[in-house]
Amino acid sequence: MAHQEYKEMLAVLALSALDAVDERALSQHLSECAECRRELADWESTAAALALSAPPAEPSPQVRDQIMSAVRSDAQKQSTQSRVVEFPQSRRERWTAFGNVGAIAAAVLFLMLIIWILVLWQQNRALRRESDMLARQMQSIQEETARANELVSILSSPGARFRSLSGTGPGVGATAQLAYDGSGRALLMANALPPAPRGKQYQLWFIVGNNPPIPGQTFSPDEMGKGELRDEVPERALDSAVFAITLEPAGGSTAPTSAIYLRSGL
Amino acid sequence: MRSEQPHDQDVDLLKAIAARNEAALGQLYDRYRLILFGVLVRILNNREEAEDVLQEVFLQVWRRAADFDENRGRPFTWLVTLARSRGIDRLRALASRERVATMAGATEASEEVSDAATDAIRSEERGVVNSALAQLPEEQKRPLMLAYFDGLTQSEIALQLGAPLGTVKTRMRTGMMKLRELLSARGQYFH
Repeated sequence: MAHQEYKEMLAVLALSALDAVDERALSQHLSECAECRRELADWESTAAALALSAPPAEPSPQVRDQIMSAVRSDAQKQSTQSRVVEFPQSRRERWTAFGNVGAIAAAVLFLMLIIWILVLWQQNRALRRESDMLARQMQSIQEETARANELVSILSSPGARFRSLSGTGPGVGATAQLAYDGSGRALLMANALPPAPRGKQYQLWFIVGNNPPIPGQTFSPDEMGKGELRDEVPERALDSAVFAITLEPAGGSTAPTSAIYLRSGL
Repeated sequence: MRSEQPHDQDVDLLKAIAARNEAALGQLYDRYRLILFGVLVRILNNREEAEDVLQEVFLQVWRRAADFDENRGRPFTWLVTLARSRGIDRLRALASRERVATMAGATEASEEVSDAATDAIRSEERGVVNSALAQLPEEQKRPLMLAYFDGLTQSEIALQLGAPLGTVKTRMRTGMMKLRELLSARGQYFH
């Protein structure tokens, strides 16, 4: 991809709206191009202005208190322990006059303990959320890596082929790629498919000449329209076939019953 | 017209926060709570979740203020980007929960805003942005809003609008260029 093409993607990157493939390619370019990094900062300023189109809203007063309380406990953690139990001498003497030093000190300590536990609980909750998010990201990366490895394995096998499928009819806007090797082992990756209605799944077909389409496996895309499928390309379809995807009753059909959503060229 | 003073003041506050000044964080919160909470309510359409994320944002500011580099952008951009990013993360985490796409919540929230002098300077900027957006054709404005407030990618936007991906890409880029041009025409507000 040329420098100019990357430049044209910067405005959309500032909105974090690039698709993953484009974003990865652009990130690589940004690490090497100071001009694009400068221009990205400019676009980020434009994107941030969109925030001002949201009506201002007033959070409840407790939010400020909770933030300041959490910040104070953060600061306390960095100070010495002696400051945590420090009491002014004069106050202690005043309480002594009432003869209840032990009980009151215990009550104060108990109260501090409760507050401390509440702050820790709140921090723990935030950390757990972050941890869950990281775990999800890690799982997603592992899945992508596994898929990439499988793709490399197929494409490095003898007789490897790579075919693109384009959206058509009700599937306009969707895309898919099909990689398979000489043994027929195949991996299909589809994007931007419309959601499959309840009781329906997408199904792969192999069309050889004027013969009836040969049914393949079925799959269900996620809420983003992404789906993947592992299948075996029949021997007679290895050298010359059109690959197509239709929407079928869950479990698949023996002959297509819907319009073609995605198809390859011959 | 806006002077450089608020920008410089925000930079000073961030430097003080980086030096562990709690009062500076309180001041920054007072200056930005309305706009950041407004963005979060608009993204999440839920005050409780938005308040939770707002806390996370300011705790992150407390921990990461030293990362702010005034040579790379304004404090406003840094803070808004941080809040929007956290908001979209939370939105995705809540994706299984049904979201009611209505502006009612945001309108209600805006009515609650008191006359906050600290935020008054933004009202003029707000007018500039809304006026610029009003000048964009709906076909360009809509994908920008879907990307910014709903966190959708270009493919997802194409799917939602039932438009070809190439068309959506062109409209988004054209829309952003026009928006930048309209905002730049208002001088130092956004650059």
